[in-house]
This record gives sequence, structure tokens and C-alpha cells, in this order.
Amino acid sequence: MERMQGVNPQAEAELASSEFLTFTLGQEEYAIDILRVQEIRGYEKPTQIANAPAFIKGVINLRGIIVPIVDLRIKFHLAQVDYTPFTVVIILNVANRIVGIVVDSVSDVIRLGPAQIRPAPDFSASFDTRYIQGLATVEGRMLIVTDIEQLMLSPEMELLDAPA
Amino acid sequence: MSIDMSQFYQVFFEESAEHLAEMESLLLGLDVANPAAEDLNAIFRAAHSIKGSAGTFGFTDLAELTHVLENLLDKIRKHEIALRPEMVDVCLETGDLLKLMLAAHQGGAPADPEAIAAVSQRLQAFVAGDAAAAAPAPGVAASTSAPPPEARAYLIEFIPSAASAQDGVAGLIESLRALGRLETLVSPPADAPVGFWSLRLFAPVLPDSLAEQLDFIAESGAWRIEEDRSVTTAGEEVFGFFGDAPGLSDEARGYGFFAPLPGVAGGEAAAEDAYGLFEPLPAPAQPEDSAYGFFAPLPESQAVAAPQAEEAYGFFTPLPAPAETLPSAPALPSAAAPAAPPAAPPRAASAAKAPPAVKASAAGGDASIRVSVEKVDQLINLVGELVITQAMLLETVAQMQDAAPERLAHGLAQLERNSRDLQEAVMSIRMLPISFVFSRFPRVVRDLSAKLGKQVELKTSGDTTELDKGLIERIADPLTHLIRNSLDHGIEAPEKRVALGKNPCGTITLKASHQGGNVVIEVGDDGAGLNRDKILAKARERGMQVSEQMSDQEVFALIFEAGFSTAEQVTDVSGRGVGMDVVRRNIQELGGRIEIESMLGIGTRMTVRLPLTLAILDGMSVAVGDQTYILPLSYVMESLQPEPGDIKTLANQGRVIQVRGEYLPVVVLHEIFGLQKAVSRFTQGIMVVLHADGASAALWVDALIGQHQVVIKSLEANYRRVPGISGATIMGDGRVALILDVPAIVAMGKQQQKAA
Repeated sequence: MERMQGVNPQAEAELASSEFLTFTLGQEEYAIDILRVQEIRGYEKPTQIANAPAFIKGVINLRGIIVPIVDLRIKFHLAQVDYTPFTVVIILNVANRIVGIVVDSVSDVIRLGPAQIRPAPDFSASFDTRYIQGLATVEGRMLIVTDIEQLMLSPEMELLDAPA
Repeated sequence: MSIDMSQFYQVFFEESAEHLAEMESLLLGLDVANPAAEDLNAIFRAAHSIKGSAGTFGFTDLAELTHVLENLLDKIRKHEIALRPEMVDVCLETGDLLKLMLAAHQGGAPADPEAIAAVSQRLQAFVAGDAAAAAPAPGVAASTSAPPPEARAYLIEFIPSAASAQDGVAGLIESLRALGRLETLVSPPADAPVGFWSLRLFAPVLPDSLAEQLDFIAESGAWRIEEDRSVTTAGEEVFGFFGDAPGLSDEARGYGFFAPLPGVAGGEAAAEDAYGLFEPLPAPAQPEDSAYGFFAPLPESQAVAAPQAEEAYGFFTPLPAPAETLPSAPALPSAAAPAAPPAAPPRAASAAKAPPAVKASAAGGDASIRVSVEKVDQLINLVGELVITQAMLLETVAQMQDAAPERLAHGLAQLERNSRDLQEAVMSIRMLPISFVFSRFPRVVRDLSAKLGKQVELKTSGDTTELDKGLIERIADPLTHLIRNSLDHGIEAPEKRVALGKNPCGTITLKASHQGGNVVIEVGDDGAGLNRDKILAKARERGMQVSEQMSDQEVFALIFEAGFSTAEQVTDVSGRGVGMDVVRRNIQELGGRIEIESMLGIGTRMTVRLPLTLAILDGMSVAVGDQTYILPLSYVMESLQPEPGDIKTLANQGRVIQVRGEYLPVVVLHEIFGLQKAVSRFTQGIMVVLHADGASAALWVDALIGQHQVVIKSLEANYRRVPGISGATIMGDGRVALILDVPAIVAMGKQQQKAA
């Protein structure tokens, strides 16, 4: 996704734009590549996993597959985390693994051209910015375009076995 | 190589590997003195199938080698050559090479071309040499008289069909050359391969076998074979004799000794030709080998030896009395039979050796279809879902109680039975008889005992015991290691065994059986046994904490420690101390365990216990807080409700409970998993006594829920390993329950005790 930064913007605009799914976490709105999204479903209470970090809510049975559920709101230190009938889980398919993320709500599907995505300002080397591809503005709202695959596979998500 | 073909390569590789495995097991089971025609045919068919498909897929190297092998097998099966142990050896070696070549085509290291050439030449030597040797003249004296070779001259004429014009003719000429001396009388011009050919062949074969080959390349009616009496074999002295060298080492066998022949002009050229001149081997001639006779060069051979040597056949002597030759030739096929001693007694022994299960599986193979494991797993998953859905329905109906129509309840009961049967049937697809693993061991034992100079007999039983395919694949290596270990360290050398009053031939027993929910595999030997004192001494030397009070079981378990070896001598077979620890780890990874029993001087028995399948588990569900966990039933010894005062503390930290006079560490699941407690006092909960890896612990849980057969799901597929959890499963209500890793939990109990 580096191609989105610093290359001739005109040439990029001609490239096919791609679709993104947007969802909200607290006051923030995020956009992720829709090709990574398998399905969206309501939240059901997962089976707890012993000694897992707080943002890993547990595992659910997704038609016979055991899928871990990550609450991004806890991971991103949002103040208010509650589970209502409207709480949704986005089931992602990243690197042949299936992971569910809990978000406040799913907004819509939008089309973003590379030219619309602006590089995010550099906030030191904190966790959040490393997986942010850029920022986009749609109808006055700021979308945080996130590389969800890199985020889910990153060591701090603790979803993978630590390399031996 | 077109992409179209390559998609079938995998099938070819799998099939060829199966054919090779079948060939090997049949070869090993073969009674050399009195081979069963059915087995010989089966071996031939296996080789033939490999050749056929290798040719189709363009793996010419494989096709060529199997072709030579097939030639030999064909002759054996038609009783043109008497089977000898050396032939079995060379066939086995060919099988190994073919495996290497298959691996090379699958991206492995290329097979050694010299080894291939050498084996191929040896096979050809058997094919040609024995055809000649099959009918030796009676009363051949050892060193002076040469036997009359019973070759005949054939005039072969044919017009090849267009399809086989190129390769077919070349192949035919090559194989005819392999039979004897070939002269091309008429051949079509090189640029027009379809045309009239006329060949003259001097070879000790029957016209029938030639006809068969010709049939392949020419339409019937477009070829003709005549015995060419115009050229008498008199004076043409045909075809050499390959003295078989029975007692030689592998490398030298089949080639014999090349002795420079003083006064023979062609001697050197012949020796270069790998078949060369064979000097008689004086010493270890076995009775049947003597039938081939010993031949020495005759001084008169000077003139003819040189040209003949170019034909790749060794040593030729003029025929003193050609008249004798022709009459002896028709007796050729039947001569093979007397060459093999009529040995009935070994039949019984080898009949016992050849496992009937191997034959059964070979026969069953014809009526089976090849399905990818992925599809089977998908089927198992779907059936698992079905069973869960059915359980959900059943629960709903149970909640409706009397409100449910009777027909609905009735139908559901029927559905439950059907889905259970379906699940069992689907699960059985993955089950394979353990003979798939066992069948490779006769070869291991045979090769290794020859290498170590030991006499070992392998006895297997329970070959039909079924276990999961996944287990079959992963148990082979550990078992091979145990057998090698038994052979190398267990079984003593024959002299030593005789001195100890044992049968010089050691026995390794391999036994498989079902015991409860487990498959038990025993590897036993009647060898030296483990020396307790030696192991203890070695352990002390390595600074391990050991004491004389340890039980035998505990002492013997030390050999599973990494780097532990009491072998005085490191051999290339074993003794470096790596291995047994890997064996134990592999078996534990399969959810199994290994135990050793041994008596010094009597023998050793290793017992491997494995779960029946990796996919299903008999479990006990327990409630802890608001969570449900599954305990594999195989670890559960008993459960009890503690009485007040049963639980004592150690140093005010570790807790123990007295069960039948034994103090067991108490593991509180709520504590190690950080869960809410539903009950606060020990007496309100249940203690489940668990036994794993030779240690016990009592696990305290809130309540027992019930027993289930659960389908094991991997937690690692989408998540990661979790300490204390071995997997997950889906319960009847669709929720996920985690399966506890009992050995890890028992180990936690131990640690708690140590910490206390």
C-alpha cells in the first residue's frame, strides 16, 4: 500500500479505486478493505479463554470453525465498552485466518480512489499509526483507512503464536 | 511438460508410491524357494503399472529402470528363471532407487545415476545370465569344461506400425540385445523408420517371448519369427555364463570377480563391459547355486572372445559338440524347476511371515476410490454440524415437553439414531489398519540386521487394528526409531546370544490392539534388557537427580531424557542419545504416552498408547464458574466430593488431598485460569483425580456435567496455543467448550507443590 504515498497523484487517480467498509469505534470512523471482510454478524457471548488479554473476548463457533473475537474498542482504549443488541462483529479473513472484531457499528461501504487517501500525520511511533494507511475525507467525515491485515497479524494483537 | 499433464502428476506419484510399497511388502513376504504364483504376478503387475504410467507421464528414467525390472520379474513369474535371494535383494534395491527417482521428480535430490546404472546392469545380468544358466549341461566339471550354451538363432522380420516406429523399434532392439547377440540384416533408411526390418538373434529364449515383444510394435501379420537353422550355433559359441557369486557383498554381487585372463585376447575388453569374465568363487556355494556351475576360460577362446565382448556378454567358449546344444534347448523352461531345490519346509515359516492383512489391503485397493483428505475432513465437519443441529432440535423439543406432537418427537429420535450412525460411518473413513505402518518394518529389520550382523525375526500381530490416518502418518517415525533401538541395543550379537543360552536368532515383536479408547502398540524384544544400575550411573554422571529408591519405571524413563545414551559405542544406527526424547515428544504430541518394561537379560517392552483418533475424544464436561470445560476421559481416574478436612495445606500454600492413602496436589482450575468461582468451599465442588505422565493430581471444579463424545477442533487454526488448553469443541447448544490439556495441568500441580 506504499504506492499510495508519494507517487504521481495523477497516475494514481487512473488506477481502479477500491471499496472500503467503514465502521465506528467511539467517535472515530475507520475504513478497511472490503475484500478482507467475510461477513458481519451480531455479537454473541464468546467462550472465554484463560489468561488471554482483555481485548480478546474469547472464541465463538462460526459454523463449525473456532473463531477468536477481538474487541477493538478495548484494544484502542475506548472509554465506553458495552454490549448491546446493536453491537456487531466483523468477521475478517486475513492471511487464511478467520478473526472477528467487535465494533460499535458498521456505517457503509464506500469507494475510495488512491488520490483521496492522504498520508496520516506522523504521531511518534505509537501503535495506532503504524497500521494506518492514511486519512480520507468523505462528506465532511474523516475516515481512518486501516491496513487491517497488518494490524491483525501484528504481535500486539496476540493472535498468533509467538515465533519459536 | 504441459500444464495439463502436471495436474495428474500428484496422482501418479501417489499411485507409484503405493505400487512400490506393495511390491516391497510382497517381495519381503516371498518364499524364495517356493514362490506363490499369485504373489509373483502381483509384483509383476505393480512394476508394470509403474512402468506404464511413468511412460505416459514422460518420466523416461523411471520407465527405463522399471522396464528392466519388469523383464526380470516376467521371467521369474513365467518360471524361466528360478527365484534366488539375490534377485529379491536387487529388486528391493531397485524399489529404493525408484523411490528416490520419484522423490527427485517431486523436487527432491536427484538419484545417483551410477547407482541406477549399476542396479539396471545387475537386473539385466540376472535376466540374461539365468536364461543361459537355467539349463546347464549335466555333469559340468568345475574348472575345465565349458557348458554348451543352448542358444538358438532366430530370424526376425517385421514392419513396425507407424505409431511405434521410432521408440518402439529402438526399445525392441535394445531388449533383444539384452537377450543375446543381435545382427541387423536389413533395416529401413534412417529417415523413414517405417519399413522392413530383418534381424538375426542368437539367444537362449523361446520364440513365444519374442513374439510377445514383437506384437507390441507391429500389427499381427506384419511380423515373423523363424528359427534360423541355416546358421548353426555350432562354432558360433554363444553367450556367456555369469557365474553367480552367492557369498559376495552387495556391491560385488552379480559382477563376480574379474580375473585377468592370461592368453585371452578379449579378456580386458570383456572386463570393462561390467559383465566380464567370472572366475569361479570357490567358497560359499549353496546347494542351488552349484547348479550354475563354475566356468573357467578355455585357451581356445582367444579368437572369439574379443568380438563377443563388444556385445556386452562375457565369456564365450567354442562349442565342441553343437549337436548337443539344440536338444537341450527345449528343456529350458522346465530346467528352471529342478534348479530350485524342492524345499517345502520353509513354506510354513514364510506363510506365517507374510501378513494376511497386507494381502487383504492389496485386494481391497482395487475396489476403492481415491478421495482427498480435505474432502473427507469437510464431510466430517458437516456431519459434526448436523449432529449439533440435531441436538439443538432435540433440546428444543424437550423444552416443549408435552406440547410437542408425538410424531415430531418420534421423528427426532429417528434422526438422532441416523445422524449418530452417519457420524460413525464418516469417522470410519479416516480409519486405516495399522498394517500400513507395520508393513514397512520387515524391510527395516531385514536391512538393519544384515548391517549389524545380527539375526532377527520380526513378528507382528494385530495388523488389522484400525486407527486414524493422521495418527498412522505420524506414528511411523517413532515406531521405526523404537525398532531400530531394539535391534541395535536390545538384541545381542548371535555369538553372545548362544553364549547366554538363547536362540541365536533374536525376536522383535510388534503388537497392536485396542484397549478401551486407546490403541496400544507394543515393541518388544528378547534382547539384553535395560541395565538399571548402568542407567542410574549414567544419570549421576550427567548430574541428574536420581536415587536408588526410584522405581524401575522411573529409572527406565530416564532414557527418554535428551542426550541420554548408555551405548558404549556410537553406531550410525543409534547410540548418540538423540532420538528417544524425540520419540517421547512425538508420541505425546499425538496425545499418547509411552512406557517401558524391561528385565535384564530377558528383554525390553515399550508400550505406546495412543488415542483412537485425533478427531474425536471421549470427554467429561465440567463446570467452572460460568464456563464449561472438557476433560479427556482417558486421563480421568475418578471423581469425588471432598469431605471437610480432606484438604491439607503444605507450607500454607500448596494444597493436597488424601485419596486412598496417597497425597495428591490439588489444582484449582479457577485459580490457574483466573475465573469466577460459583462455589466458595471445597466441599461444595468436585475433585477429579487425573493421571498423566506417571503423575496424578486432583482438579477441583464446581460440578460435573456429563460425558460426551466431542469433535476436536483446533484452536490454533485461527488463534494460538493456550497453556492448559489442548483444543476446542462445539457443544450441543452450539457454544464452544475448551478441552483441557491434562498433562499440562498435572504439571502445574507439580509446580505448585515445588513452589510450596
